[in-house]
Amino acid sequence: MLEAINLSKTYISDGADYQALRGIDLKIDSGECVAIVGKSGSGKSTLMHLLACLDEPTEGSVLVNGSDVADLSEREKNLLRNEKFGFVFQQFFLNGRDTVLENVALPLRIRGLKESKIRSEAKAALDSVGLGDKLTKRSKDLSGGEKQRVCIARALVSEPQMIFADEPTGNLDSATGAAVEDMLFAMNRERGITLVIVTHDEDLAGRCGRVVNMKDGQIETGDVSKGETR
Amino acid sequence: MKLWDIIKMANRNLFRNKLRTFLTISAIFVGSFTLTLTNGLGDGLRDYVENQVKNLEAERVIFIRKQPPAVGPAASGDEPPEYSSEKIDTETGFDPTAFSFTQKQVENITKDISGIKTITPRYSINGEYITIEGGKKYKAELGMLSDGITQKTEAGRSINGADQIVLPLGLARAFDANISNLIGKHAVIAYKTASGELKTISPEVVGVATKGFMTNTNSFVDTQTAETIYNDQKNGEDADKFYGFSLQMGSISTAQLANIKETLHAKGFEAETMADQKKRTYDAIGIFKTGMNFFAMIALLAASFGIINTLIIAVMERTKEIGLQKALGLGRGKIFLIFSLESILIGFWGAVIGIVVGIVLGIIANKYIVANYLASFDGYSLFAFTVPSILFVLLLVSGIAFIAGVFPAIRASKLNPIESLRYE
Repeated sequence: MLEAINLSKTYISDGADYQALRGIDLKIDSGECVAIVGKSGSGKSTLMHLLACLDEPTEGSVLVNGSDVADLSEREKNLLRNEKFGFVFQQFFLNGRDTVLENVALPLRIRGLKESKIRSEAKAALDSVGLGDKLTKRSKDLSGGEKQRVCIARALVSEPQMIFADEPTGNLDSATGAAVEDMLFAMNRERGITLVIVTHDEDLAGRCGRVVNMKDGQIETGDVSKGETR
Repeated sequence: MKLWDIIKMANRNLFRNKLRTFLTISAIFVGSFTLTLTNGLGDGLRDYVENQVKNLEAERVIFIRKQPPAVGPAASGDEPPEYSSEKIDTETGFDPTAFSFTQKQVENITKDISGIKTITPRYSINGEYITIEGGKKYKAELGMLSDGITQKTEAGRSINGADQIVLPLGLARAFDANISNLIGKHAVIAYKTASGELKTISPEVVGVATKGFMTNTNSFVDTQTAETIYNDQKNGEDADKFYGFSLQMGSISTAQLANIKETLHAKGFEAETMADQKKRTYDAIGIFKTGMNFFAMIALLAASFGIINTLIIAVMERTKEIGLQKALGLGRGKIFLIFSLESILIGFWGAVIGIVVGIVLGIIANKYIVANYLASFDGYSLFAFTVPSILFVLLLVSGIAFIAGVFPAIRASKLNPIESLRYE
């Protein structure tokens, strides 16, 4: 369970304050599928970064499973992100020269597992996204859709409670994008992984259980119920 | 992240930009190559000296000689000393300009020192020929082995009493290819007395010396034999004056030795053990080596800027990757470690290549130069490569590389994950 209480974030650049978030209250239950939508500059990415413990709020707090993230040390936060969270980014952030398997193995390597376990888990994750036959390929040689599936495998491999996806289909054409979406929703459905998707794609948002609309650093109309589409 | 994985990752990162890594390693290579050779030169010199002196041991012998005279007034521009016909008392007074001194003078200055068993002058003796059992006569180069000095031998043992001789290896082989056959035989040594007549003595051959400085050519006789020859050969009024004496002690502790040195120093003498003499030589070689290494260090210093440059560029290139790794939970310390290891590896490989090339060239140079230019220095290798020296170069260069990598590694470890992921 993830909870934001009166979350604010102010950036200071060139002496001028810029308030990216203004007092956000949000609660995401385990197993939920939530879309955070809004125009660029609305603060949706900032909100995701704060929820995912990648950044620290200026005010307010983030609770993960009921405990305040501010109380965690740097090390504990690293551990939390490594074990409980998975990330899928618009620009993939794959290491092109490394093999597909090595890219997927990264979170487990960071965790420091045994080599044999790392390989078997990474293989299993790649199997589950249908890339079990491309283990030794260099990731730069893959298509966009395949790359994003590798990213999903990388998010899955650590068996997270929650996956944060930042514009997961932003760089994909609609057909491959739809396939990637299906994959994400299947994980939510079948494995009960909480899904937080940041997007400005309303089709994608519409497929989520709940849509949070962001505007000027605030949640616009509170929680908008399922079914709100274009 | 496991250390082994970090090492593998750092190594893999190095090969991403092979040309850049190669060039950076090349700069390090030049430095460590130079360091290997300068170290090898110093060690070669040290090995040579060590081989020459190691076969003489004297734990309980103190050598004394006079301190060099103070610079006279003439040299400092004042009045030159006036002539005096007064004879200097040879028992207590010393001629300040002379280096030689008498046994009585030594007894006088050492009368307060306890534990002295004997005082032996450094007799200088000249032989004519040496032969064994009517064989060929060879030119006799004679030396004296003071009591208390032990010589290492290839066969037999060192001198331990009167009428004994230790032959140099080359001479012994000339007498008999199987040198142990010579032990126990009596050699015949002829020498000229002061009046010019030829006299012979026949000491027992007790040993054949191991190769080394002086012991390569000299046959060594015991103190009594040397004294006999000296007395037959001495000539003129300075015959009872010597340039050095050795004190045979019952035993010497470090404190006692320091005390004796101080006492004798105050009286215008230098006292040294063989260990002191060896140390003095090694110190000089050490200074020589350090001086040479200094130049290699300048090359390494220049190369370390190359490392800093390479790593700063690598941090910039890999900003997004670092951002991702941090997002996925890799801690600052590990990021620092990855970049540090990359710079250590640059240093390590540069050092390894430098050491290997240095050793190969050193060995070639040894064969060529020693055969062509240093043939008269028996047993001298221009370059010597020892495991401690090689490890020293390896650790030093890797250490310098590590220090060079600290700044870029800190920069990498401090990157903010979100900003890094957005970095273009």
